[in-house]
Amino acid sequence: MTANILEVRGLQKHFGGNYVTQDISLDITEGSKEAIIGPNGAGKTTFFNLLTGYHRPDAGTVTFDGRDITGWPPHRIARAGIARAFQVSNIFLRMTAWENVRSAVHAQMGQSLNILGSAAKIGAERTREVLALCGLEAQSATVAGELSQGDKKKLELALALGARPRLLFLDEPTAGMSLEETRDTMALVDRLNIDLGLTILFTEHDMNVVFNHASRVTLLHRGEIIVWGTPDEVRGNATAQKIYLGEHQL
Amino acid sequence: MADLNALLIQLFAGLSRGMVLFLLSAGLSLIFGVMNILNFAHATFWLLAGYITVTIYAYLADTFAPGFLLLVPAVLGATAIMVALGLLIERVLIRRMYDRELPEQLLLTFALVLILGDVIKLIWGVQNRRIFVPVTPMQAFGVFINPYYFFLIGAGFAVAIGLWLFLHRTKYGRIVRAAVYNREMVNALGIRIPMIYAGVFAAGVGIAAFAGGIFSPLLPMALGNDIDIIVQCFAVVVIGGFGSILGTFVASLLVGIVYSFSILIWPDGALAMIFLIVIAVLIWRPWGLFGTELRS
Amino acid sequence: MGSVRHGTALLTKGTNVSIDSAPVIQKTTPRSVVARTFGKWGLSGAATAIVFVGFVLVPLVPGQFWIYVATEILILGLLAMSFNMLYGYMGQISFGHAAYFGLGAYGAGLLMRFFRPGGGEIGYLDFFLSLLAGPPVAAIGALVISVFVVRLTGIYFAILTLAFGELLYYIVFSWYSFTKGDDGVQGLLPPPFFQDAVNYYYFTLAVVLISALLMWRILESPFGYTLRTLRDNQRRAAFLGINVRLHMSVNFVIAGTFAGISGALWGPFQRSIAPGLLGWQESGVAVFMALIGGSKIFIGPMVGSAIYTFLHAFVTIYTVYWPLTIGLVIMAIVLFAPGGVLGLFQSWFDRMTKKNDATADRSAQTRQDENTL
Repeated sequence: MTANILEVRGLQKHFGGNYVTQDISLDITEGSKEAIIGPNGAGKTTFFNLLTGYHRPDAGTVTFDGRDITGWPPHRIARAGIARAFQVSNIFLRMTAWENVRSAVHAQMGQSLNILGSAAKIGAERTREVLALCGLEAQSATVAGELSQGDKKKLELALALGARPRLLFLDEPTAGMSLEETRDTMALVDRLNIDLGLTILFTEHDMNVVFNHASRVTLLHRGEIIVWGTPDEVRGNATAQKIYLGEHQL
Repeated sequence: MADLNALLIQLFAGLSRGMVLFLLSAGLSLIFGVMNILNFAHATFWLLAGYITVTIYAYLADTFAPGFLLLVPAVLGATAIMVALGLLIERVLIRRMYDRELPEQLLLTFALVLILGDVIKLIWGVQNRRIFVPVTPMQAFGVFINPYYFFLIGAGFAVAIGLWLFLHRTKYGRIVRAAVYNREMVNALGIRIPMIYAGVFAAGVGIAAFAGGIFSPLLPMALGNDIDIIVQCFAVVVIGGFGSILGTFVASLLVGIVYSFSILIWPDGALAMIFLIVIAVLIWRPWGLFGTELRS
Repeated sequence: MGSVRHGTALLTKGTNVSIDSAPVIQKTTPRSVVARTFGKWGLSGAATAIVFVGFVLVPLVPGQFWIYVATEILILGLLAMSFNMLYGYMGQISFGHAAYFGLGAYGAGLLMRFFRPGGGEIGYLDFFLSLLAGPPVAAIGALVISVFVVRLTGIYFAILTLAFGELLYYIVFSWYSFTKGDDGVQGLLPPPFFQDAVNYYYFTLAVVLISALLMWRILESPFGYTLRTLRDNQRRAAFLGINVRLHMSVNFVIAGTFAGISGALWGPFQRSIAPGLLGWQESGVAVFMALIGGSKIFIGPMVGSAIYTFLHAFVTIYTVYWPLTIGLVIMAIVLFAPGGVLGLFQSWFDRMTKKNDATADRSAQTRQDENTL
């Protein structure tokens, strides 16, 4: 019986009087690859924000690998093994791709406070690995701000991977991508999950991606979980269909 | 009774100083709130307006009898000139800085301080300038007070109320306030942002100039006053909160009075006291007493 | 794209970039010579070398005046470089950095006065002890203040550092019994050997050089690159597991300590110290220097110090309107050359090295003067 790597209980968040996350509970088993879907404004990004420490929940608990991480600040959660790739590439624009990933590697190695070592000599192996994994090795020396949009997204993912996470959140990983790019990206995600054993939770609007790659799907609407289950179960659910009527063909 | 006299005089001094601070800080706060530019040179505009007022007044006083009435065209003239200058500077310099990083904006407006300061020196020399308006002291609260203080305090209130009414009750004011919160949306609504910016900047400078003008009978215009004052204005804006008229008003009075009374107790440390308050506010509540958490 | 070394690989003995060099067609045009010679080092390395050689050669110029100017350039340049650790490398502007310069100066100066209460020349041991006292005082001041300032960024950081700087100024100014307040401390005379301008100059050069090397080491360490992440995207850095406040605090203390070193050198140089050394005007000078020389390049602030100090020495001979002059210079730089003087050179340099490598186009294009550090 595989353990739950993440357990969320009764998570709540409100801004002013607006409840953006209402009593969410869910479990994620280690090694799974799941999707969270929902119309815009359903609260998917807020959910990620809560799980990664960007917002503090008003109520509820989050347990990661048996440890209570509720209310932890982002850097502590990251050090614990949760990483996140953002929808809009959120990279270090003035540094090269190599330096970007290397920063993540150094942070994970606990080297970020090393003031006398040589940055060039530490973590080079792993940095190269991650860049190669994401297909960015040729762009190592390119300054991040000058990368193409596609490469920026790859770097976005590479940054998250550099920290050697066990649980990875991907915020709309294929947003704005062509068919071929989508295929490549999701192939990589599959590889990360199967070969490296990463647990992956992603949000998506592209239903093909969801149904082809997620073992389980959770549907959020107005901050609540409406339904969750296998892709087929969700697809067949009447409420789900109503929510998406006019938006997507399930 | 002498002590009470001193206290009362300090109170009035503090209040009127608070008014200067308010008039200056209101413009500063608005400009920062709307345009995200911290105008270091704001107090220098004020100083320049003061010098211009003195000059116009002196010129008029040659022909007409000196008195408060003469102050009106002097102040109006100075304000008009400064508004024009402000529009020019906004168009030529400030406009280029909107997309730039904060340190570059700060340095540009600071460079303006240096340049304008020396321009003042070039034109008016290093002598202090002052308007002498003959006035009979009034008696109030058992003390003899220059009635001009009342006028100043009244003017300050009037501007405060007028500004608040403009921002909260008129269409243009609402647009300006909206721009503080969300520049892009206002632009998307078809309202021309550059014009709003120019208008806000000119208005801020205008109010500062007005302050410079009406205070010229009271405060001697001296080089370096601008730098003293601008730092206090920063303190006011931080304490009160960027973009909040009420906050600026309260904070101005607070700083003005603290400053005036500190002079009695610890003359050299008046400014230090104010900095302590600033530090406390920044640590405990960085968006100020009345501000809302700023968009980053 | 491989053979172009960017400014990021400053003075590197080996780069961290594992790309194969594309074969370069060897030409012998002047351009290619420049590219080959300086390509390995990058502009920053070349500039550093030129600057260092220049400093060594200064005493060859006749007259004591230039020695004094050069000493001043060195000391204030170190101050400006320490400021740039916060600004160019970490992205925050501090308007109260000179406070640590002043603390270093007072730490050293007051101890010198303690060894020789009436003022006057002190012994060698006392002198070195005094100098060593400066940086720790600055470091402690920076440590205490860092606790507060690292909670904020941007404009709030700027104002808070200004406020604290002014507070420290007032403390020094008002504590007459200890610091002699506004009178300052005069008669700070170093031992005989160091009273000679040239000797003191070379001593300063040695100290500044060692400090710069140490600073370089720190900025090229994992910590140094972590600072750059804070500059580029503080939020993302946190999501990578970086404790932002801690790193800001450590950098603040390190930068303050370097400022303290420069302060300690200042007292014996000027033979006196005054509270003004801690004030915002002095802080402003450090900011100007970093900006004028170029905040995106390691040696930029030192170059800025040279330009600023020369300009100041020169202009004040002819006119009293120095603020006007420097104001116009700053405005020109901000509007037309925000990367500073070295930033301008960087663009030129990139254009030069780009033309010589068939495969260089892509990465040369990636080099804009914003991306040097």
